[in-house]
Amino acid sequence: MRRHAVLWSMIVLAVVMLVPFFIVVLNAVKTPEEYSTGGPLSLPSGVSLDGVIAFWERVDFGEKLLNSVVISGSVAVLAVVVSVFNAYALGIGRVRGRLWILVLFLIANTLPQEALVYPLYFLANEVGLYDTKTAVIIIFTVIQAAFGTYLLTSTLGGFPRELLEAARIDGANKWQTLVRIVVPISRPTLGVLFVFFFIWTWNEFFLPLVLLISNENQTVPVALGVLQGQRMMDATMTSASALLGVIPAIVFFLIFQRALTRGITAGAVK
Amino acid sequence: MPKRLLVAAVAALMAVAGCGGSDSASDSNTLKLWHYEGPDSAMGVAWAEAIKQFEASHPGVKVEFEEKGFEQIQKTAPMVLNSKDAPDILEYNKGNATAGLLSRQGLLTDISEEVAKRGWDKKLGPGIDTTAKYDERGVMGSGKWYGIPNYAEYVMVYYNKDMFDQQGLAAPKTLDELTAAMKKFVAAGITPLAVGGAEYPAHQILYQLALTKADRDWVDRFQRYTGDVDFHDKAWVYGAETFAEWLREGYISKDSAGVKAEDMGLAFMQGKNPIMISGSWWYGRVQAQVKDFQWASVPWPGMTSGSSGNLWVVPKGAKNKQLAYDFIEITMSPAIQDKLRDAGGVAVAPSDTPAADPKAKQLNDDFSELSEGDRLAFYPDWPAPGFYDVQVSSVQKLITGQAGPHEVLTELSDYYKENLASVGK
Repeated sequence: MRRHAVLWSMIVLAVVMLVPFFIVVLNAVKTPEEYSTGGPLSLPSGVSLDGVIAFWERVDFGEKLLNSVVISGSVAVLAVVVSVFNAYALGIGRVRGRLWILVLFLIANTLPQEALVYPLYFLANEVGLYDTKTAVIIIFTVIQAAFGTYLLTSTLGGFPRELLEAARIDGANKWQTLVRIVVPISRPTLGVLFVFFFIWTWNEFFLPLVLLISNENQTVPVALGVLQGQRMMDATMTSASALLGVIPAIVFFLIFQRALTRGITAGAVK
Repeated sequence: MPKRLLVAAVAALMAVAGCGGSDSASDSNTLKLWHYEGPDSAMGVAWAEAIKQFEASHPGVKVEFEEKGFEQIQKTAPMVLNSKDAPDILEYNKGNATAGLLSRQGLLTDISEEVAKRGWDKKLGPGIDTTAKYDERGVMGSGKWYGIPNYAEYVMVYYNKDMFDQQGLAAPKTLDELTAAMKKFVAAGITPLAVGGAEYPAHQILYQLALTKADRDWVDRFQRYTGDVDFHDKAWVYGAETFAEWLREGYISKDSAGVKAEDMGLAFMQGKNPIMISGSWWYGRVQAQVKDFQWASVPWPGMTSGSSGNLWVVPKGAKNKQLAYDFIEITMSPAIQDKLRDAGGVAVAPSDTPAADPKAKQLNDDFSELSEGDRLAFYPDWPAPGFYDVQVSSVQKLITGQAGPHEVLTELSDYYKENLASVGK
């Protein structure tokens, strides 16, 4: 009885979560005329991929995909590397005043991006990196690494001391301890961080909107914004673009979801 | 992941990122042009043609066109124009809070000289040129020229001809006829007016009603701060009270407070409501997508919300200003203006040959009548930054019955007065 209750509530939850997605798919394959006469919930008479194709060509979606992959991929890798270095020093190295350093990181992480945007624009413009992917990669590496450092420091704070001792007795220096002992053992956690950093950066809208002004540098979420007109919206093409926009994130998630679950369970066992 | 693979991946990504850096062409043979109109819109069609003509008449010059999102331009323009990546020419929103603000910040080129030399001022009628000129406070209507509009827009009455015929009604040319028609629809159990209370349509209707009792001086005082504004004068009170009356009589549904503009348009295009009072920006879409019934439009009686469309502006930091001026010249030529008109837009300087399509002809004829009668009254939310949200929420309260017409006017008045103190600062 109780098991069934759980099952049914899971089904209801799944349906609730899938309905918006279903509506997006429904409207993405409609013609604008069908949308205007039948409204958003009517069933289309056939599958029309015109909206999807027109959107792809209009914004050169392949280029945007590549940009997003480059930016999110670089940020995910770099932020994990930076987080590991920081957390090694703070969590295992026991730097003096590490609590305050962590608080500082956390505060930096809670600042709204709207407050950061003008200073970031000014700095980027001064050093000649305005409207380059490099600027966005550096900024998001810092932002994501701040969170990563916070999270990873507490994980490494509970790292088994015996292992570190053993490594030192075997003659490993600090670098070797990090690369040979700490990183391999915390790999599941690092995998989770990597996936999260990638998806978070992928979904970022505001800073890329401001910092990547040329179309050739734009990311996927910014490209979706092209369709939002001043007074008009094209509901079918917007749905088509939303569909194109979420597919890469879903694919990425499916590829890495094993790393994700492994990371989560690894944490749970500890 | 093996470490070597990881290092290689980072190197590869950085390499791609590096070479994608700023290589924006700055030589004198490119015109960097931005706008945010969709490729199928009247402006999109006309400007694509203008780009073609420009490239034909300027051999060796390449047009580097990028379609932008409205929001991106709105949010980032001051920053972009202040950097070396500024385009040579871009479309920008007209009005005090947008183009006016940029002009005051010194980010736009004063093009008065070119306007006089090329005679653009003669092509733009009164009321249209208002939004192209800004004074040192950034207030529109006088001072230097900072932009050129190619098209115009105005609010009118769209109606469902089939449903009007069924009730034996003629085109609602005056406010009395419109009211009588709406009364008849209510008696037949149909809500006559499609209204979107969650966005611009509702407060535009209130303004439209006030405008029936207004004149140019009233509009100038409200929009250009040329004199005292009293929100409890004859016009405003008439607007708010009539709007409340329309609600009482059932002309406007009480449920419309949460309706978006898009859904208002859909309700009209699906034949649920026979009348929609909204802007010419719907025209092309209604024309293309309504197949199930006959529809028509009549101009709003008296003054009406409307203005020039968005402007072509030339940033202060533009590298090729002469090319930008040449491009504006082409967009103002009869050929491009006719193209814009035939694609369903409202042209500001079309040729003398009328449009072949009867609907396009009527749209433009109605506009010339408004322009010649000096009847364009801009939009109610223009005079103060953030006024839009205030008006939406006040009129929503009126629709749901949380506030009476006079309370709404007091709310509008308070916000307006607060802003007035900071105009030009």
